Amino acid sequence: MQNDAVLTMRGIDKQFPGTKALNKVDFTLRKGEIHALMGENGAGKSTLIKVLTGVHEKDGGSIWVEGVDGEAHIHSPQDAQNIGIATVYQEITLCPNLTVAENMFIGRTQGQRVHWKEYEKRATEILDNLGIPARAKQELSSCSLAVQQMVAIARAVDMNCKVLILDEPTSSLDDKEVEMLFGLMRDLKNRGVGIIFVTHFLEQVYEVSDRITVLRNGELVGEFAIEDLPQVELVAKMMGKDLNDLADLEQVGAKHEATGEVIYEAENLSSSESRAFDFNIHKGEVNGFTGLLGSGRSESVRAIFGADRVTGGKVKVKGQEVKISKPHEAMKAGIGYLPEDRKKDGIIADLSVRENIILAMQVMKGFFHPMSRSQMEAFADEYIKALSIKTASQETPVGSLSGGNQQKVILARWLLTHPDYLILDEPTRGIDVGTKLEIQKLVLKLANEENMSITFISSEIEEMLRTCSRLIVMRDRNIVGELTGDQLTQAQVMKTIAGGEQ
Amino acid sequence: MKKKLDFSAIARSKVTWAVVAEALILLVCLFVRPEFFSISYQPSTGMLYGNLIDIINRSSEITIIAMGMTLVIALGGTDLSVGALVAVSGAIALKFLRWDVTIYNTPGDYTVYSFALVIIVPLVVCILMGMFNGFLISKGEMQPIIATLILMVCGRGIAQIITNGKQFTTQYSPFRVIGQGSILYLPTPIIITAVVVAAVALFVRKTAFGTFVESVGINRKASRLSGINAQRIIFIVFTLTGFLSGISGLIYSSRIMSNDSNNAGLNFEMDAILAVVIGGTSMTGGKFSLVGTVLGSIIIRTIVNLVYYFGIAAEATMAFKAVIIAVVIVLQSEPVRNYFAKRSSARREAVKGGAKA
Repeated sequence: MQNDAVLTMRGIDKQFPGTKALNKVDFTLRKGEIHALMGENGAGKSTLIKVLTGVHEKDGGSIWVEGVDGEAHIHSPQDAQNIGIATVYQEITLCPNLTVAENMFIGRTQGQRVHWKEYEKRATEILDNLGIPARAKQELSSCSLAVQQMVAIARAVDMNCKVLILDEPTSSLDDKEVEMLFGLMRDLKNRGVGIIFVTHFLEQVYEVSDRITVLRNGELVGEFAIEDLPQVELVAKMMGKDLNDLADLEQVGAKHEATGEVIYEAENLSSSESRAFDFNIHKGEVNGFTGLLGSGRSESVRAIFGADRVTGGKVKVKGQEVKISKPHEAMKAGIGYLPEDRKKDGIIADLSVRENIILAMQVMKGFFHPMSRSQMEAFADEYIKALSIKTASQETPVGSLSGGNQQKVILARWLLTHPDYLILDEPTRGIDVGTKLEIQKLVLKLANEENMSITFISSEIEEMLRTCSRLIVMRDRNIVGELTGDQLTQAQVMKTIAGGEQ
Repeated sequence: MKKKLDFSAIARSKVTWAVVAEALILLVCLFVRPEFFSISYQPSTGMLYGNLIDIINRSSEITIIAMGMTLVIALGGTDLSVGALVAVSGAIALKFLRWDVTIYNTPGDYTVYSFALVIIVPLVVCILMGMFNGFLISKGEMQPIIATLILMVCGRGIAQIITNGKQFTTQYSPFRVIGQGSILYLPTPIIITAVVVAAVALFVRKTAFGTFVESVGINRKASRLSGINAQRIIFIVFTLTGFLSGISGLIYSSRIMSNDSNNAGLNFEMDAILAVVIGGTSMTGGKFSLVGTVLGSIIIRTIVNLVYYFGIAAEATMAFKAVIIAVVIVLQSEPVRNYFAKRSSARREAVKGGAKA
């Protein structure tokens, strides 16, 4: 245990049914430092935080906290608070209809009587002290989001915390508000509070942090001083790639250079979840959106398909201007979309493989024009064979298939509608290697033989390099680059994702 | 390919257990009072009489409503307003069954409005009320239980307003046929129910509507991303349920030849939900069975008739009903079904093993 450490975690293990969420993870937080915890979604960041705050109990390992003799035993959020670990979550968890002071002291009053006068005085002191622009008697909902966030932090700080966890505190703030928050963070740091900063905004990490711990797949990649880890290397570490090992794997098939007409074109398209962007795809082209998870690539394709509420922009399909604000309208325009979250957005678990396969086609026909049973069986049979879906029968509920086969069923659902343009969002996630290759081969085959336009998204860069002839790179919800031809190398992709070094 | 009978699949089906439950109840009757099953023909009315006929006849109101309720529950919702809609439907029908008081001073076989209005207006109003529910739930994204609570509470009030709080009676014979007449030796409600069940079944299973309902009930987000207009599906289902409640209300008021804003359709929503659940459709939505629902409704009515037939004290009626329903529900519970499914597949394995040896 280092002397200046306020928090030491060693060999933390956490097992969830079916997955090892944390595997022997070490983490050290020193007094008066801002320590960024980095990793892609599912890397184990939030599990580690939850173990620390007592939401989950660890399966193995030890935690030491300054001021606690011996190992700290954290079994509930209350325990964590008592030993000085405070958390401020992404979503503000205060009561908007109470005053600032009430929010700061609610649940912490002692004795029978509540001395609101005194609390208001103390709240004013703390707010002044930290330079938070809010009055104690002001209703919380009348403050800006950033100030609300700061009030939450003030509440945490007043509980005499030694460790302050900020979980994605900046995701709903604008640039100016972020600056205000950073000011407060630096101030707290100078007072000796150790801050764990979880975010997916790379630039923000470099702006305030002193140290970075990177996790990947539930394992510790390493702890680095900020000056020792340039942004591009951080990206490589998060993705688990070695910069020196950039040899591309063998091709799964010939890539298709798109020359045909523009099938789909969007100008300034934006949705409730994505910022405005321009995009187009040619007939027979395979392109892809890349960027870290959370960079906005899924949100962009969801906007194309009308999966989220479309808020603006012009869309042309085959040169004709069309309005796409619902999935159904996108389907009519010849667009198919395989969603990122197979379980939540893809499969209808209790329906049979047959029903799942014919679903989109049936929707296109409308429910008054049902397909005959024999027709459905013929289609289902065709695609079960073509995609070699492993299922006991057509009537097996799709929920009982393996992940890869479920994915193929959804793929079949869309192929059956014969779209001109197919969007595949993470079709290879969580499925075995063999099936991954099959899907990549299929993508190239569809583009080459059937002249289908395909947008392919994958967290694994090699897959995208193998299949896409054009990559659109996103960072922090904006398109930051477009790579074609010789630029399609891992190094270039990572450089573009990290930004700064062209 | 010839399909083999798979006993473990049969044992797993909830509908199977609904059949078993009904058979058990009737079997008990058979031993205790065989005359329960006698059916006789009454030439004066041209109708068959008997307890079995009566059970099916009297279950009509619930069966008809439960057809809609099955779809509502398959979508993961509930409709609490059906009972109140029964009262509204009856109130409107009786409102149009007025006679000219300057000519007659007792109820009789006469009416001022045409019979078509007596039938059509209540149904249209119930359809509109169903659309109101559907609108709140689909466009307004309210929870079904809350949205339908509105009409459950105020529906009876509307019925009171329609009739100025009065109870009307009538002796108009065409109206009497709906609830008390006969067609092909059978009570009319049975025929109406058969037509409704057949129509709903055809609509749901011969179009893709049923699949879409199940799909939305199982996973609304994924259904939407496959292009299904979930809002429209929800709207149609609640509208249909309103319409069916209207039909049920006409049968009910024809049986009593009167309107009764306070008691018509009382607790029908609970019986309809119960019929659906006994019929094997899960309250969490998804796969549904219309046949199961019909059975469920008949089981509920069988219990009620038994109570009357055996002269069980009126005070004990509810308790008796509760006990039998509890047994039925336990028979259908997951662990029990799995137990029997396992036993039957184990036996099949044993037979296979024996054949090999």
